Amino acid sequence: MTTKDIVLDHVSIRFGSFTAVDNAHLTIKGGEFFSFLGPSGCGKTTLLRCVSGFTDPTEGMVTIGGKDMRGVGPNKRPTALIFQNLALFPLMSVADNIAFPLEVRGIGKKERRKKADELLDMIALPGVGEKKVHELSGGQKQRVAIARALAVEPDILLLDEPLSALDLKLRHHMRTELRAIQQRVGLTFIYITHDQGEALTMSDRIAVMNQGVVEQIGDPEAIYNRPKTAFVASFVGESNSFSGKVSSQSGKEVLLETPVGPLRGIAAGGRTYKPGDECYLFVRPEQMTIANGVQPDNSFTAQALKEEFEGNARHLFLNSQGVDLRLSRINLGAKTDDLSGSVITAGFSADQAIVLPHGPLAGT
Amino acid sequence: MNKQTGGGPLAVGYSLLFFAFLFGPLIIMVVTAFNSSSFPRITPWECFTTEWFGVLFGNSRLMGGLLNSVVIGFGVVCIAVPVGLAGALALSELGPRLRATLYTVLITPILVPGVVLGISTIVFWGAVGRGVGAGYDSLFFNGMFLTLAGQVTFVSAYAMLVFMARLQRFDPTLTEAALDLGATPGQAFRKILLPFLAPAIGSAAFLTLLASFENYNTTVFTIMSQSTFTTALASKVRLGTDPSLSALAVIIIGITLIGAMVNEAQTRRKDMLRSGRAAQSRVYGNPVLSVLVHPLSVFFLLIAIVGFLSWQGSQQDAGVCKQQILDGKRARQEELLEAQRERMKAQKAAEEATKPTVSTQPASPSAFGGAFNSLAPKAEPAPAESANPSPFGGAFNNLTPTTDD
Amino acid sequence: MGALQASFTSFTNKHGLGVACFIGLTVFFWVVFLIVLPQLAMVDFSFRYNLPQSQIGGANDVYTLDNYAYFFQGNDGTINTLDIGILVKTLVAALIVTLIDIAICYPIAFILAHSATGVAARLMVIGLIVPFWVNEILRAFAFRVLFGATGLVNGIGMNMGLWDVPIDFIRADVALYSGLVYAYILLMIFPIFNAVEALDRNQIEAARDMGASWWRVHWRVVLPIAKPGIASGATMVFMLTAGALAAPQILGGPSNLWFTQLIYQWFNQSANWQRGSAYAVILLLVCIGFVMMMMRVFKVSIGEIGR
Repeated sequence: MTTKDIVLDHVSIRFGSFTAVDNAHLTIKGGEFFSFLGPSGCGKTTLLRCVSGFTDPTEGMVTIGGKDMRGVGPNKRPTALIFQNLALFPLMSVADNIAFPLEVRGIGKKERRKKADELLDMIALPGVGEKKVHELSGGQKQRVAIARALAVEPDILLLDEPLSALDLKLRHHMRTELRAIQQRVGLTFIYITHDQGEALTMSDRIAVMNQGVVEQIGDPEAIYNRPKTAFVASFVGESNSFSGKVSSQSGKEVLLETPVGPLRGIAAGGRTYKPGDECYLFVRPEQMTIANGVQPDNSFTAQALKEEFEGNARHLFLNSQGVDLRLSRINLGAKTDDLSGSVITAGFSADQAIVLPHGPLAGT
Repeated sequence: MNKQTGGGPLAVGYSLLFFAFLFGPLIIMVVTAFNSSSFPRITPWECFTTEWFGVLFGNSRLMGGLLNSVVIGFGVVCIAVPVGLAGALALSELGPRLRATLYTVLITPILVPGVVLGISTIVFWGAVGRGVGAGYDSLFFNGMFLTLAGQVTFVSAYAMLVFMARLQRFDPTLTEAALDLGATPGQAFRKILLPFLAPAIGSAAFLTLLASFENYNTTVFTIMSQSTFTTALASKVRLGTDPSLSALAVIIIGITLIGAMVNEAQTRRKDMLRSGRAAQSRVYGNPVLSVLVHPLSVFFLLIAIVGFLSWQGSQQDAGVCKQQILDGKRARQEELLEAQRERMKAQKAAEEATKPTVSTQPASPSAFGGAFNSLAPKAEPAPAESANPSPFGGAFNNLTPTTDD
Repeated sequence: MGALQASFTSFTNKHGLGVACFIGLTVFFWVVFLIVLPQLAMVDFSFRYNLPQSQIGGANDVYTLDNYAYFFQGNDGTINTLDIGILVKTLVAALIVTLIDIAICYPIAFILAHSATGVAARLMVIGLIVPFWVNEILRAFAFRVLFGATGLVNGIGMNMGLWDVPIDFIRADVALYSGLVYAYILLMIFPIFNAVEALDRNQIEAARDMGASWWRVHWRVVLPIAKPGIASGATMVFMLTAGALAAPQILGGPSNLWFTQLIYQWFNQSANWQRGSAYAVILLLVCIGFVMMMMRVFKVSIGEIGR
């Protein structure tokens, strides 16, 4: 069990005039499953390469267990990286791949063999040691890459979107497996992904990144339920967004003037807004309802464009005054009418809506 | 052939024509090696013979050149492959602007005429030699050394291109992974990148050996008073030809074909094994056939065939046939001489009859001496090639430069 | 210098100090002692008088434009039509050979890339490469056998009664042109092949589907893709043809000299290395100029050559 904390101390990384990472400042606790979540090109991979030692920070510093890592090469750090394409050595057998870290440390053949077999047992792939890498399936390669990284006996395992090449079923299976391995070996996992499902299901904590900036750090629930920026609200999970101007605020409740009319929501994080502030109001599709006589806090008429059935839910696509919206209803097995083409009144409760200052939204 | 994208009778026909152009001259040359005619040709066919192989191996200048070529080729491979590798690695790592500049510099030796390379090499090392006060018997004026230097200059660029092509397919994250797993940079190079490049080292070595062995334009300057196989060959071809060169072509083409077939067997086998279809394949699944198509057995089989054919060939004696041809020629010559005598007589008679007429020599196709040569019987001292240069032998000798001093 | 140092550091980090030193020293040696200095030495040499050994480095060893003046004016101050003519003829001939090569190689490259499949394609590739493992001199010799006065072509032609006196294909340069076209086929096919191969077959089929004629498909779809390959192949074929020595020596007619033969004569028959160097520099400059022009016209960079 290790308790080495990783501290990113005001780390900025620039390539020429391009800023890949802008002033990242956070602590990852030992033994934690920590994810960096963000769209491609947000700087999360650069940050990971910086922790593993392939890139030096332009400003700030990285410490692992209190030790400054500047000038320490990737081969000297207590980290092991699992590459996006896994980077298994194609010319070596599976066992040679796993034993490579021991080989370069000058450990004898017998001991290498023994350790490789142990690790193969651990990843539940006994007896494949003599196979060539290309004879393995995608999921097996995945596990071999993990075994090879564990052979280094690192304190921290870094994973760069390792599941992106797998098909959906296997991906879901590997999520459980990765989490189980992490809990079994008790290492710190730093996980990079653009897939919020992966981040939400596996992580202890998540850092959401956009354009080099860490937007929010928190546990999965906080990230999903209490986004702190417009980007996080729009990137994590599905959200309907209304752009508008603040008319008034009383306590936590904000009244917003939007294209569909006045809407009420809760000011996120106890912010206070002045009348006239440009804001977004976010509400999840599953929080939207069709108003059948009962008047919720917010309601407006909308044109139902089409309805999609996705097994567990029905998604109704709406348009109101040029704002595209989505309304999801859980499938409880009862037959519901197809509403496409009709005009309905939609609404949501103010408690379920969050008001956040203007900022970049996730690309749609 | 894929019809949709243009495979059709036209494409097939054109391809056949094209390959006829590619192989026609070589096949004809090969056939001439077995004709006893002293000039390499197919028509008229005289006798089947293998004596030209003997003539070839008896040519001491060619054989001496062969030894030089082997020595130089070995040296070039040993130097050019590492140099090419260094060049390719350097290019793979440099920033885009530096890379473009270096690439331009390193690729120029391929584009610059070989003649220019040869000249610059001897001029430069000659200047260095004079600079350090070395004599003409020193390294700087030694044909072997100069040829090595001249050839390495451009042959390395070939090797570099081979390595660059291979490096492009290298996944740089493999090196990073090795470093991350605790390897030192040197270990990562030796254990990951070098094994990946190994096949390219083989093909680069082969390519450089071939390029060195074949090179003429640069070598003809740098070899000075010595000769390599190719320069000896060229001077032999320029000064006059006999079918022993065709015999040489037979040997080289034979080696080439064996190499190509063994290589093909090797790649097919590899493909089969890699794809894992070997067990299902009719050939590779059958234990006997599978051994038979192993590259090594293919190689030995071909060698055995060649050995048998050469033994057969060495037993062959064209003496009887040649005697017949010779006799035939003699008779023909007699006839011609007779006819000429007759003509002379008639002419004399005519001259006497009409005195002022200028005498005309019987027209001999002197411009096409080769045709005449072949008519002369072998037993008599045939008109020497040098005295009566074959129509294309003298292109070079006939013209002396327009010198001023 | 800073950029060089940065690359050296990156080498060291990636491959280790030993490898970095090996790469640095080797490339330095190659560039400086094998490529740059010899060329400079040759240029320097071409500006000197042809002096006897004892006077080299002495008072008479000064720079002169004599060797270049000779190329343009000869000895008597009139225009040296002979040598200039040979240079022009060489360039024109090289251009013709290049064009013929483009014409015959383009269809083959295309067939190889898009029509031939499986075994046929493999056989074609082997068939293309194997003839070029045969020595260049022997390949030229084969053409002499073919086109000589008693060669196969004359033999067949005369036997069939097409002509009765042997035709001198050598003097007419037919043998030379054929030999040169043959010699560099491979260097033309593979660049075009590489370029054309990148073309998606569906594009051709789509164009055919829309009713374009074959001629149009090639002109509008294939040729634009093949252009860099053609330019790269043409550059190499032109340079090698203009710089060829063996084929003209073996196949050239007696009255037709190649410019490289002229250089060869200055060195080996007249022992005037200085003038030979000057002629070599002239050849080099003309060829470089031509290639630059080609690259400008076809808008390709040198980086695409040799791929």
